Amino acid sequence: MGQFTQFAINGLMSGAIYALIAVGIVSVYKATKVVNFAHGYLIMFGAYFYFTFSVIVPGQSWAPDWLASWQPAWLLEMREGLPMFSPMGAVLDWVQNVPRILLGIAGALVCNAIVGRIIERTLMRPLMGQSIFAMIMVTVGLISIMSGAASIIWTADADFVPHIAPNAPIRFELFGTMIFLFGADLVNMIVALLIFAGIVLMVRYTKSGVAIRATAEDQSTAYSMGISVPKVFSRAWVLASTTGAIAGAILATRNGISPSLGLFGFSVLAIVLMGGLDSYIGVFLAAMAVGVMEALTQWRMGGDWAEIVPYVAVLLILLIRPHGLFGSKEVERI
Amino acid sequence: MLTIENIEVTYHHTVQALRGLSLEVPDGKIVTLLGTNGAGKTTTLKAASNLLALENGQIGEGRISFKGQSILSIQPDRLVQMGLFHVREGRRIFTEMSVEDNLVAASYALDARRAKPDYDKVYDFFPRLKERRKQIAGYLSGGEQQMLAFGRAMIARPELILMDEPSLGLAPKIVEEIFQTIRRLNSEDGVSILLVEQNAGVAFSVADYGYIMESGQIVMEGDVAKLKQDKDIQSFYLGVGGGEGAERQSFRDVKHYKRRKRWLS
Repeated sequence: MGQFTQFAINGLMSGAIYALIAVGIVSVYKATKVVNFAHGYLIMFGAYFYFTFSVIVPGQSWAPDWLASWQPAWLLEMREGLPMFSPMGAVLDWVQNVPRILLGIAGALVCNAIVGRIIERTLMRPLMGQSIFAMIMVTVGLISIMSGAASIIWTADADFVPHIAPNAPIRFELFGTMIFLFGADLVNMIVALLIFAGIVLMVRYTKSGVAIRATAEDQSTAYSMGISVPKVFSRAWVLASTTGAIAGAILATRNGISPSLGLFGFSVLAIVLMGGLDSYIGVFLAAMAVGVMEALTQWRMGGDWAEIVPYVAVLLILLIRPHGLFGSKEVERI
Repeated sequence: MLTIENIEVTYHHTVQALRGLSLEVPDGKIVTLLGTNGAGKTTTLKAASNLLALENGQIGEGRISFKGQSILSIQPDRLVQMGLFHVREGRRIFTEMSVEDNLVAASYALDARRAKPDYDKVYDFFPRLKERRKQIAGYLSGGEQQMLAFGRAMIARPELILMDEPSLGLAPKIVEEIFQTIRRLNSEDGVSILLVEQNAGVAFSVADYGYIMESGQIVMEGDVAKLKQDKDIQSFYLGVGGGEGAERQSFRDVKHYKRRKRWLS
């Protein structure tokens, strides 16, 4: 039981990241009916932008010193005499990094939003009115363009990027066992969940949400209601690329940076299919389920199996429910 | 209010749907456009609300102007905000959204005008929608869906409504109710209406002026009072037969002989 809780919690933490990635795929699908195969590569761009603004830029000679490592007097004072690896030390390490973390996140958000907008304006919008399939194939083509572009632009060796939150180890007791977590993982999970919840509430309860749902259901009628459909499209892409930027920054701190980060998008695509392409709730549950399954197989059967077992489960679920767990069939009047 | 001059529309660069169609909707009038299936009525409305691009249709020649302004380069959402609302064929309500959200969606039309949507007015017109406002719109009855489609139009406070077969698939009693609403919108709010119908009888009961179209062209037009008297229209659209004592006509004769003689020669 003890180990089980620990691994289940680890699973929930990676599940939350999956959910954060999935939210981008679902948002674009809901608004435009396009399954974005290149979403993983948007995330990779986000990760690289985070790396650029939190590591490369502060390391330049023209950048002020406080950007790379912020060391006000009170901080140095507090550091005096702290033992190595103490939780307080980890927090203080983080405080030093705060300026470049903030710059990194802001840079990643802005740059990724621009990338998302460019993709929508130059590749997707001209195809409006054509078959959806054409747009989907464009996203497939984007995969090669984006992974190629990344290896041309970012030739520098990938380095460690700063964690978004203090990475202090946390120990606490739950159900009679000691649980051990890293602070950064916990904060990542909370951030991912908050963003996810924010988007779901926005879609369900605000007027912009009405526009998104109306567009999702019937583009041309939404248009004839006065809803600017192209605007909804580009907002969906910007939403996907900005949530992708956060996800990319988080993944960069967890798994390091490389062009193969983009592949992550595909495993999340499987999760999205399992949850039902157009259901935030379904996708959330699927992401959590796959996260936990991965962690549990890793615990019971070893790391090699962890990549297989959850996706076999996805396949099985799709065999039984082709629309996914909560994917909608159309409402039919009886 | 709306002037269509000599437009030609092709779909996918190959199928010609309209060939030189012209019509006019004067301020505050109800104009009806009648025609058989495939005559191009819906295409005409889509051309006027600029929705053709979404279906790969192009307006080749001709002019369309709304309130004196050419609409050809104005996006559909902008047109709605200027006061042209298109109630589409088959109602096209958002079936997965609640009744209320359907109305909220229509309030986007008011954004540019900084006006507040008047939901109470819609609920006043259609008390049944008020009872059901939290329900998923897809589960409303056909008549209620048509009311919702009208309600959306009312929220947008248009000056011109393009209405595509509001009687489609509805029971006669509901049709009567719907047409009363059309009359009310016109007389109380002064909304001009372009009404596309297959049911000429009800269309003539509200309209001031009528156009008859066939294969993408207008073949006849006139005041409704005059059109009602026309023999061909009586037999083709109003279902008035030869009357007492007259010999029964074969439908084939009517179709092939009379129509060719009057309209296509």
